Amino acid sequence: MIGVAVILPLIFPLGLPLGITQPSKNLYDKVESLKEGSVVLLTFDYYPSTLPETEPMSYAALRHLFRKNIKVITVTTIPLGALSVMENVVKNVAREYDKKYGVDYVNLGYKYGYQAVLLGMGRRIEDIFPMDAYNNKLESLPLMQRVKNYKDVDFIFVVSDNATVDYWISLVNAQFGTPMGAGVTAVMAPKCYSYLQTNQMVGLLGGMKGAAEYEKLSLNYGKAIRGMDPQSIVHFLIIFFVILGNLGYFITRKKEGLK
Amino acid sequence: MSWEFFGISLSALLTLSLYSFLYKDNPFYKLAEHIFAGISAGYYVGLIWHSVIKQQLWSPMVKEGQYLLIIPGILGALMFTRFISKISWLSRLSLAFVVGNTAGITIIQQLHGMVLPQVRSTFLNLTTLGGIIMVVGVISTIIYFYFSKEHKGALGFVAQVGIWFIMISFGASFGYTVMARVSLLIGRAQFLLTNWLHIIK
Repeated sequence: MIGVAVILPLIFPLGLPLGITQPSKNLYDKVESLKEGSVVLLTFDYYPSTLPETEPMSYAALRHLFRKNIKVITVTTIPLGALSVMENVVKNVAREYDKKYGVDYVNLGYKYGYQAVLLGMGRRIEDIFPMDAYNNKLESLPLMQRVKNYKDVDFIFVVSDNATVDYWISLVNAQFGTPMGAGVTAVMAPKCYSYLQTNQMVGLLGGMKGAAEYEKLSLNYGKAIRGMDPQSIVHFLIIFFVILGNLGYFITRKKEGLK
Repeated sequence: MSWEFFGISLSALLTLSLYSFLYKDNPFYKLAEHIFAGISAGYYVGLIWHSVIKQQLWSPMVKEGQYLLIIPGILGALMFTRFISKISWLSRLSLAFVVGNTAGITIIQQLHGMVLPQVRSTFLNLTTLGGIIMVVGVISTIIYFYFSKEHKGALGFVAQVGIWFIMISFGASFGYTVMARVSLLIGRAQFLLTNWLHIIK
């Protein structure tokens, strides 16, 4: 039944309404407020297993950044698959917006060791990434000649499906003060709301719903928005079964009580 | 048949093989699972070899003369002495470095980046409803985890309030978890219907 509830609305979209939550709006507004030529560090800290939630966030964020002519540096601290996903997303979107590698964007690639990498980049990015993802020396790239560490980065946009978001907040934001926002998987979202309370993050995208909200705000209609119809229907179905299960439980208990 | 279509079809068949576990454990599921485990391990080894051993150790030492890197290189190599029982104690040197380094980073990280900001954000204005809910929630939840006195009387009542806050938190987490799992199913369905079967655009 769940399978049917997922497949049918994908084939025959219903266009159910999609509300925008304040944390998503705040993140969008922050990116919107950045001036042309600002530098944003966009992370791809996720495994391919969570692509339906995280990849639409990366696409929507990168399209929004490139549309505003913001310089983008991409990086990942995840070993399995993230590098390929990052290259794919960056190349596709850069082609759409006719962006030049090394001038408008740089792909740093992957480096082993979460905490050491994040802290080291605060001192000097080139120490941690002597070369980019394509084996170019960092000093040979025009964008990296003016970006030496976090002081030269205006905003960090973390897309993550694991504890790296905690490292970005507790190491980078706390110690270097660089403002940041995050797109995380739905499982992680409840925990990450506490970072909004502490003002350690300006905004938050939670799961596919968050991705769909960002797509809607930035007018990039993609996979996340298309996925929201089945998402809503399955949720209705689950609520229905929870109510049904509880009714059954109370009726059974009442009958047993009468006996 | 193009290589792209071959790759997509292979991916689709592996997806269906994994979903076949919903029926029962079977050879197709096992094959897909083993392929995934094998490829992950192989890819990880190749990645570490290229991005750590070659890029951060071998090349800087040989091409740029950064000979001090021999120290972390040796510490890394000592880890493998665990496989030789007579000299396995040498691996403790490397482990001591890792433990000390991690503790040093983590203590500051947790205190400066987690504990203090979280505590600071609970010092709220008690004239607002949000502030009252936050402060009552934090205090009652902490009291629920205070086990040195039996939860009776006033303490029991506050602990009970704490349970309600914890339950609401669990409910939110459960709802988000359902959304996450459904999202993964939607992602696979989108892949099968769009990239493989071309039923939707």
